[in-house]
Amino acid sequence: MSEHTLHVKVVTPDGVVFGHETASLVVLDTINGEEGIMANHSPIITSLHIGEVKVINEEESYKENITISGGFAEFSDNQLSIVSDSAERTQDIDVKRAERAKERAEKHLAASDTSDTERAQAALMRAVNRIHAVTGNK
Amino acid sequence: MAASLQDIQRRIASTKKTRQITSAMQMVSTAKLSQIQRHGGSYTVYADALHDVVAHLATAHINNVSGTLLEQRHVSKVGFLVLSSDRGLVGGYNSTLLKELMARINERQLTPEQVVILAVGGNGADFFKKRGFDVAYEYRGVSDVPTFTEVREIVKTVTTMYDNEVFDELIVGYQHFVSRISNEVHLEKMLPVSAENLEESKDDNKYTADYEMEPSAEQILGVVLPQYAESLVYGAIIDAKTAEHAASANAMSSATDNAKEIIDSLGLQYNRARQGAITTEITEITGGMAALD
Repeated sequence: MSEHTLHVKVVTPDGVVFGHETASLVVLDTINGEEGIMANHSPIITSLHIGEVKVINEEESYKENITISGGFAEFSDNQLSIVSDSAERTQDIDVKRAERAKERAEKHLAASDTSDTERAQAALMRAVNRIHAVTGNK
Repeated sequence: MAASLQDIQRRIASTKKTRQITSAMQMVSTAKLSQIQRHGGSYTVYADALHDVVAHLATAHINNVSGTLLEQRHVSKVGFLVLSSDRGLVGGYNSTLLKELMARINERQLTPEQVVILAVGGNGADFFKKRGFDVAYEYRGVSDVPTFTEVREIVKTVTTMYDNEVFDELIVGYQHFVSRISNEVHLEKMLPVSAENLEESKDDNKYTADYEMEPSAEQILGVVLPQYAESLVYGAIIDAKTAEHAASANAMSSATDNAKEIIDSLGLQYNRARQGAITTEITEITGGMAALD
């Protein structure tokens, strides 16, 4: 590992779904807006939005987008761990499934009583997030 | 005599069929067991990461906990999350769990009004309904190797109910998987998240750096704690399922052994009866000859 790269891993309940040894820049979608993390950043813990994480290494012209559903990121010793409920690489997302989920959530929101609203809203956000990640029209 | 010979033969045949079924079920359970053990391994990575961060945050900011899951409320109702199996054929898996739970409820002298039951698995739900407890939530049909997406609904419901003060303390009762041949009933208090639990493993906490917090430690704690609580419940569900598969594999293996014993003893009976029949025939023939002479 060179001095200007950091190690990223994305951890979900189903295990480590993504890992990259040599990232030069990772862009996180934090509660306070987007934030880039490069090697030798000071240790930080930050909570994340339902959104995308971009892992970039320009020298290797490597770029990977990972869609996550919230959670938090922890960075120390050039190790970045992103801990989230669920995460998938944007290229692996099944858009049709996400669209179905979106419809379902919208129907729930329209019909449901108050008890369900929060969950339906979260589901809707997840679905929309997935679709946006793929189609790119944010 | 001939009729009983046929009877024994029929019993042998049917026991053999039973044995075939139980041994197949044993193999299926064993396969599921190793599958879920693999899955459990990858979950541990996630749980550890969460635990370490929560422990780090909580020990540093333990004084400022009101409004979070760390806050100790006055307990007027106790929630019990019961992780039992849907099916039978798992030996003492459900009965020992339910017995321990009842013992705990009696020990704390809780009336049914002070108890809220959340049942995952049909056995537990039916048991507590029959005894007049308030079963506030019921979920059947957890799959053999539950994924987080699948149990998210259960987990979210439980934490939401706690937030809405349906109960003020959550105890999760499940069979903990010890080894392939033994389980252990665990009754764990998971909510509110207790500081002792977190500090237990402080020594091997790898997150010792002096962190910047964004936005603030309290806000991060507010996000991470629910996620941590969810991961605890999910972990318990995985553990319980692992134990269930082990219990089922065990029950089926002893059933197969029993069937084998029965077949052996029936075989002995059959041979004895056959001998008896032959002896009677010979006596009859010689008796007939003696009469002719």
